[in-house]
Amino acid sequence: MNYYKVQKLKSHLFIACLYCSAAFVLAPLIMVIVFLFYKGASSLNLDFFMNLPKPVGETGGGMKHAIIGTFYMVGLGSLIAVPLGIVCGIFLAEYGKGKIPNCLRMASDLLTGVPSIVIGIFAYTLIVVPLKGFSALAGGVALSLIILPIVIRSTEEILKLIPGHIREAGLALGLPRWKVIYFIIVKGNLPNIFTGVILAISRAAGETAPLLFTAFGNMYLSYSLTGPMASLPVQIYNYAISPFEDWQRQAWAGAFVLIILVLGLNIVSRLIVNRKQLFNKK
Amino acid sequence: MKFINKQDQINFRLMQGLAIGVVVMMIIMILLLVKQSLPVIELSGLSFLTTDWWNPIEEEFGALSFVYGTLVTSFLALLLASPFSIAVAVFITEILPDKVKPIISMLVEMIAAVPSIVFGLWGLFFLAPFVQTTLTPFLKSTLGFLPIFQGPSFGIGILTASMILAIMIIPTITSICREVFKTVPNLQKEAALGLGATRFEMIKLAILKPSFSGIMGAMVLGLGRALGETMAVAMVIGNQPSINFSLFAPGSTMASVIANEYAEADNDIHLSALCLVGLLLFVVTLIVNVSARTIVWRFGSNER
Amino acid sequence: MSENTPILTTNNINIWYDQFHAIKNISISYLPNSITAIIGPSGCGKSTYLRCLNRIHEEVPGARATGEVIYNGQNILDPNVDPVLIRRNIGMVFQKPNPFPAMSIFDNVIIGLKLQGVKQKSKLKEVVETCLKKAALWDEVKDILQRPGTSLSGGQQQRLCIARTLAVNPKIVLMDEPTSALDPIATGKIEELMQDLKKEYTVIIVTHNMQQAARISDYTSFFVLGDLIEHGTSSQIFTNPKEQKTEDYISGRFG
Repeated sequence: MNYYKVQKLKSHLFIACLYCSAAFVLAPLIMVIVFLFYKGASSLNLDFFMNLPKPVGETGGGMKHAIIGTFYMVGLGSLIAVPLGIVCGIFLAEYGKGKIPNCLRMASDLLTGVPSIVIGIFAYTLIVVPLKGFSALAGGVALSLIILPIVIRSTEEILKLIPGHIREAGLALGLPRWKVIYFIIVKGNLPNIFTGVILAISRAAGETAPLLFTAFGNMYLSYSLTGPMASLPVQIYNYAISPFEDWQRQAWAGAFVLIILVLGLNIVSRLIVNRKQLFNKK
Repeated sequence: MKFINKQDQINFRLMQGLAIGVVVMMIIMILLLVKQSLPVIELSGLSFLTTDWWNPIEEEFGALSFVYGTLVTSFLALLLASPFSIAVAVFITEILPDKVKPIISMLVEMIAAVPSIVFGLWGLFFLAPFVQTTLTPFLKSTLGFLPIFQGPSFGIGILTASMILAIMIIPTITSICREVFKTVPNLQKEAALGLGATRFEMIKLAILKPSFSGIMGAMVLGLGRALGETMAVAMVIGNQPSINFSLFAPGSTMASVIANEYAEADNDIHLSALCLVGLLLFVVTLIVNVSARTIVWRFGSNER
Repeated sequence: MSENTPILTTNNINIWYDQFHAIKNISISYLPNSITAIIGPSGCGKSTYLRCLNRIHEEVPGARATGEVIYNGQNILDPNVDPVLIRRNIGMVFQKPNPFPAMSIFDNVIIGLKLQGVKQKSKLKEVVETCLKKAALWDEVKDILQRPGTSLSGGQQQRLCIARTLAVNPKIVLMDEPTSALDPIATGKIEELMQDLKKEYTVIIVTHNMQQAARISDYTSFFVLGDLIEHGTSSQIFTNPKEQKTEDYISGRFG
């Protein structure tokens, strides 16, 4: 009987430990968000979105150029990687056997595991070296290398879940395979595919390392494809490690905007899935 | 593949062409990286890996301190993160009621979505001061006799970097552990409980024990993530290219040195040296990821 | 074409899955506007045989067929024949009701025509109505055409799949155990419907249910382990079988 009591005590202790570790793991997330609200939201104002940086020493100014730059380069990266990734994902799901699909799968898995800083070097050797200078194009390409493998993987996984008899039903209607693939299989699963796409884009939007020496960054508004371009994460980095308090304040504001953007996209993609499930249940 | 339908054939060839394009692109990028690294290999040879003297101005390159920094921070992070990750995975799969499960697991996944730069910012302005003023005195007074807990602390350093890394890899390890736990058949759990085991004993015997190799795989995958992490580490590690055995001392990792110096490197040999560091990092993460996958895959095929 | 000219003829069909010889030397002719049932114990290859009649068997990796399936004077198993064109004339209804997910009832019916390039709205509407009427589903769904096809009950879904097949205007309809996933009432409705379909189409149906075969079919083929044991009119097969094996099977002594 006594032994049983010890056993029970142990079990309760263990479960208490589990509760504690969950709290411990979630604490940093909560602290980060609280910190961002506290420091970031308070330094946020309209100027931040509407103005360009002021010269060193003057307070005020904003990150309009960096916000636009982030949208510009993430857009560019998505433009390259999303269609390519979806088509590659469809290829893997529909024609997934053989040498070429296996090579593609390996390349995509390899790219997923590559540290983002190395992706930066890839884009540097691929674009910056031949063009002889930092450019928004290089930044976009770097981000596309982040997006591509995630989109390929998620598209393949989603399409693989579709039972074979749906394909057969389409083929039995006397339709060529490509029409069955694009207009029945893919079209019917677009919301799910877009969930993966949005997750990939949100991941790219928060990346700093691949942009450090591809798009580099600048302090003015630029729309040039071949010139350096600022981005929110790089601007935050530069401001955060600067000795000026006003810049550090703006780094917080920038981080606040960035996390709203990234987590917002994340939540949106989850909502799409949830709505889809509701729709099917009806 | 043989196609009678012309349209299908065109579609297939187009898709195949794109697939080949992606693969070729990947190969070209790796070759370019190797090509960029060649000059410094000719210059330094093996001493690149065996010396810790990094002086770009004198064109002397020894990357040992970066390798050391990367390994120490990553393993320390793994050491800190693993118990928590496994505990949280058990907590979510076994303890939480079904209704709360998705909320908590979403929050944990949310940690993975937070950009690295944001963790870096938080680490620089919150965690580093905390380490300097609270954690260091505490560690010194309790474990100060160990050489790793000696020397002055500036807040930023190896310990702070490892802590940030630990936070960042917890969601990776947790989510893979959860996948692994899911493969444990309910029957085993019920059998354990039916024998009169307490919940703790059931979790130990029926869940953790059979999942051992899967958990190892999850940890190795977490290690892979930690090795390549750049921004957060670059902001809190202090960026000093030297080998220090004290965890309070500043250091430098392979990723952080690339982040710091690449844009400013003005001669080709310096760039080449940084590319070689990048290549090294690429190869190391590749090996780690492949072995993680092998472990997890073997686990999966054995158990089912 | 006269009543007695076969619309579809199979000559010496053999089907393999890799090394496994699933169908052995089967030759049968099918008359227009008839219902032929294929019965036999499970695993006898009746679905495999049916699936090769519009070459959907090619979807299974490793499957290959030899012999001839003659439709319109052409051997459709010839690798140079485009199966896409064949399947427009020889449609198929599957075991499990499988309306396309994320498509409305309306879209499910017309998707085949739409993707063949028919764009005219009025024509499409007309097709939806006639096909749903032919499938005896119109009265139940005419007010909810925009609801997802998957929201219907199992029996309704199967009739929707029949309507979808009819919409591309086939001459022959293959049915692979179309009622095995349905309850008796839904099964009854589909059996009734098949008598109507017979007026316009030729139906070949695989079923594991002997009573169903006896009720609905004009001709019956009995398969065992890839061999055709007996083929004849249903009344003959079920009342006066020539083969001992057939008699054993229909009287429940074997299978």
